[in-house]
Amino acid sequence: MPMKRRLTSWIAAACLALPLTGTAAKAEDPFMVGFIYPTPVADVGWAKQLDLGREAIEEAYGDRVTTRVVENIPEGPDAGRVMNQLVADGADFVMLGSFGYMNDGLRLAQRSPDVDFIHASGFRQAENFGTFTARGYEGFYLTGLAAGMVTESNTIGIVAAFAIPEVIAEVNAVTLAARKENPDVNIRIVWVNTWFDPAREQEAARALISQGADVIFSLHQDTPSVVNVAQSEGVYVVNTGSDMSAHGPDAVLGSVVTDWTDYFVEAVGASLEGTFTGHDERGGLASGMVSVAAWNDVLTEEQMARINEVEAALISGEAHVFAGPLNDQRGTERVAEGEVLPDPEIFGMDWLVEGLTGSLPQ
Amino acid sequence: MGTMLVFLLSGTLLAATPLLLAAMGELIVERSGILNLSIEGMMALGAVVGFATIMATGSHWLALGAGGLAGVALSVLFAGVVLLALGNQVATGIAVGILGLGLSGLIGKPYEGMTVAPMKRMPIPVLSEIPIIGPGLFNHSLLVYLAPLLAVGLWWMLRSTRVGLVIRAVGESPESAHAIGYSVLMTRFLAIMTGGFMAGLAGAFIATVSATLWSDGMIAGRGWIVVALVVFATWRVDRLVIGAYLFGLATIAELLVQGAGIRVPSQLLTSIPYIATIVAISILSMDGRKMRLNAPASLGRTYNSTA
Amino acid sequence: MMRLPWIVEPRIGRTGPRALLAPLIAVATTILAAVVLMSSQGVAPSRAIWQLYIAPLSSLYNLSEVLLKMAPLLIIAQALAIGFRAKVWNIGAEGQLLLGAIGGSLLPLWFNDSVNPMMLPAMALCGMLFGIGWAALAAFLRTRFNANEILVTLMLNSIALQLLYYLVSGPLRDPYGFNFPQSALFPQVAMLPSLFGMGRANVSIIVALLATVAAWIFVERSMTGYKLQVGGVAPDAARYAGFREKRAVWLSLCIGGAAAGLAGVFEVAGPLGQLQRVVSPGYGFAAIIVAFLGGLNAIGILFAAFFMAVIYVGGDMAQASAGVPYAVNTSLQGVLLVSYIAARLFVDYRVRWRRDITQQGAN
Repeated sequence: MPMKRRLTSWIAAACLALPLTGTAAKAEDPFMVGFIYPTPVADVGWAKQLDLGREAIEEAYGDRVTTRVVENIPEGPDAGRVMNQLVADGADFVMLGSFGYMNDGLRLAQRSPDVDFIHASGFRQAENFGTFTARGYEGFYLTGLAAGMVTESNTIGIVAAFAIPEVIAEVNAVTLAARKENPDVNIRIVWVNTWFDPAREQEAARALISQGADVIFSLHQDTPSVVNVAQSEGVYVVNTGSDMSAHGPDAVLGSVVTDWTDYFVEAVGASLEGTFTGHDERGGLASGMVSVAAWNDVLTEEQMARINEVEAALISGEAHVFAGPLNDQRGTERVAEGEVLPDPEIFGMDWLVEGLTGSLPQ
Repeated sequence: MGTMLVFLLSGTLLAATPLLLAAMGELIVERSGILNLSIEGMMALGAVVGFATIMATGSHWLALGAGGLAGVALSVLFAGVVLLALGNQVATGIAVGILGLGLSGLIGKPYEGMTVAPMKRMPIPVLSEIPIIGPGLFNHSLLVYLAPLLAVGLWWMLRSTRVGLVIRAVGESPESAHAIGYSVLMTRFLAIMTGGFMAGLAGAFIATVSATLWSDGMIAGRGWIVVALVVFATWRVDRLVIGAYLFGLATIAELLVQGAGIRVPSQLLTSIPYIATIVAISILSMDGRKMRLNAPASLGRTYNSTA
Repeated sequence: MMRLPWIVEPRIGRTGPRALLAPLIAVATTILAAVVLMSSQGVAPSRAIWQLYIAPLSSLYNLSEVLLKMAPLLIIAQALAIGFRAKVWNIGAEGQLLLGAIGGSLLPLWFNDSVNPMMLPAMALCGMLFGIGWAALAAFLRTRFNANEILVTLMLNSIALQLLYYLVSGPLRDPYGFNFPQSALFPQVAMLPSLFGMGRANVSIIVALLATVAAWIFVERSMTGYKLQVGGVAPDAARYAGFREKRAVWLSLCIGGAAAGLAGVFEVAGPLGQLQRVVSPGYGFAAIIVAFLGGLNAIGILFAAFFMAVIYVGGDMAQASAGVPYAVNTSLQGVLLVSYIAARLFVDYRVRWRRDITQQGAN
């Protein structure tokens, strides 16, 4: 054992003796914030919204922080190395921008108690490892109302990425809202089973349009692929993440925008002060983490008033998207009259509400 | 129902066109005895160069041409290594493919997530007036109609022209072709460049005509489907056309079936073209004589053209 | 008729030290390309070379990452090279790896609270069998129906990926995993022990080194290895040597399947700790590059695997520390192999100007 340790320390010493321009002395440097995105930063999309949060951090703390971005890191065995490198380079705060970074991130957090982490859409926390999720379903409830108002064919189509709870909750919210506004509405859904294949997403949107959909929901497509189709086919579209109305000025009925700036600034602030504790941050309409941008002019003043009224009720807590009575597709009661679905069940949703045509992919 | 059928037809054509274009190129290459596994990379490079061109010029035709030329550039590298440096075709194909994917990511960085206007459609007079079939089949951009016409041309070229004869002879036995006095090197070089052009064109088609946007990784495995198609077709143009449209039909039908609320195991459907290809290769190779009629005998074998 | 102004003739016999020429040219070209590409991204050349080639070796943690990355490349490449030498082109290692990962995951998922120390060996065996089974499909179709194994293994890669997607979003999905397409975490007994007590390198690299020794012995010292090689180069000669082509196909593919399957188990039991949609960042394809870079030679492959692992890790680090897009690294891998294959010309062949030969003839 001593022998082995001596060998190890010898190797370590030898390595340190190398001219290391790569390692950084931690002491006097500004507070370093590292961001890891699963996709490249484009002018719209998931990574873009996260990056706006990073810019807000720079703006809020000026010279006290430096930020560094690593983009296009696929979930998989290599992600761990990249986040480790950030920490080795002296990062004091790391934002992990994809669910799939969870296990590597948690392990790194255990090893690096001085570094604080926040992790997108995860469900495991630690003292220095927090998670954050947007209540996107609240925004989709509002746009679902609008869809129910404007549809003439009474058919709404949904192009959905993967059947994870976040997306399922959004699909359900759209259905509940649209049918509340217009009980005759028929909802069709196509799971493309990819986060990323723009051509296939567009084919899915066209398939739904050909089946009569005149409002399309683009759930978690990172590019304006579906928005583009809606614009050229003359139907309405609701998209996720960024305001994509520039890509579909007539088509975008509303964009459900996620805004991480307040939360990121607050989390980094806490980390700077040394008061960071890993918790599960969930923000919706009330906190401004979710909002609907670019409402289409086709919505009349009365209709907007109605939407605003529901929005106010959701914000005040008077109303809830998943309020009972609520049945699933098989007709089984999931939420009783007078109750609301508790958070853990919303973020673990694996059933579709009554009235949806379509199923969860196997 | 009507609009669904229209989409079934138009969606199939749109999905199949780039596959058919690239597969025709690969068919020529393989007929000359060369296995080019770098299609995915060539399509990706064609896509990004096409997209960059349309951003700069606004012209779809220039974009398609530039995409094709990007494929040619990469194919010249492939041809040089395989024909002049006598490199192993499998390894070289994989290497050049990786290079193409890497370069496309680099060049495409500034265009990530951007969109362009769709290409103008050219409805064919009279025919496009027919209900369902008209808007389904005869209201597309020019290249969609050109692809099957090109296939007819390719079929005729391989079958009845001297060029076709030379390509087939070279692919069958470069030694004999050389002995008769054909230039194996020249034939294969040109075949590979043609294949590169078609792959680049197909990539540019996806980026600027069908998807009208650029994003890293957007070719999403279509290059491998192209390789599969050529084998599925057992190196015959007629079967290649059928295969490409069948494949397009399958992808579109799956989405329609899902939209209609019918439960389908989507992964199985995605696998069908690959399974079908394996079955096709097996059945057709089983009968040695039949296989020999179609398969280029020298496919994948290194040939020293200086000897 | 077009004639090239030079002719190339195969060299007969051992290539000797000349064989080093190709890797050296390839590495030099790659470094040059790295400098050019990195400069185009606004990174100074010295920094670029540091990041890509030296930083990965500059700390124990980084070195352990290199070894972690090297293990699957080495295991698969050694096995593929055996087949490639026999001219059996198994390019389905990626699919065989995925099957191995699936097979290896079944036991820890079914017996999730197991503490049985035989868990790991059983997983390895199961994964290898799955890998062999997937490769055997291609071997069967080749020997029974004469179906080209390049194309069949290629198709099997795509099918394996869809099978994995199906399993992680259906039957093998973690019931408590919030519907995310991934399996439950493996129990501790199903995880490979780490090597230095730090970093992520694990015993897989030891197995990979053992596999290297085994491959060397098999090829250089065993009769079967010899026959396989002869059989590959010239089927007629092999039949003369009493070796059937069918056996070469079966043997090559099964060795490849077993190795790739094992590498798959090492991924899920190592850095991943579960079965998920992304199991391999293309190890099966990268191993083909490694096999060729190593000149299809056991010792050469050892160095090639190390070098590839270094540029993989260097690329990740350059991305994290210097903001170099990963596409640079992908491009460099392409450059490395393309230039190596091109440079092999001067190793395997003699290149002479026609003019010189004619002059010699005149003399």
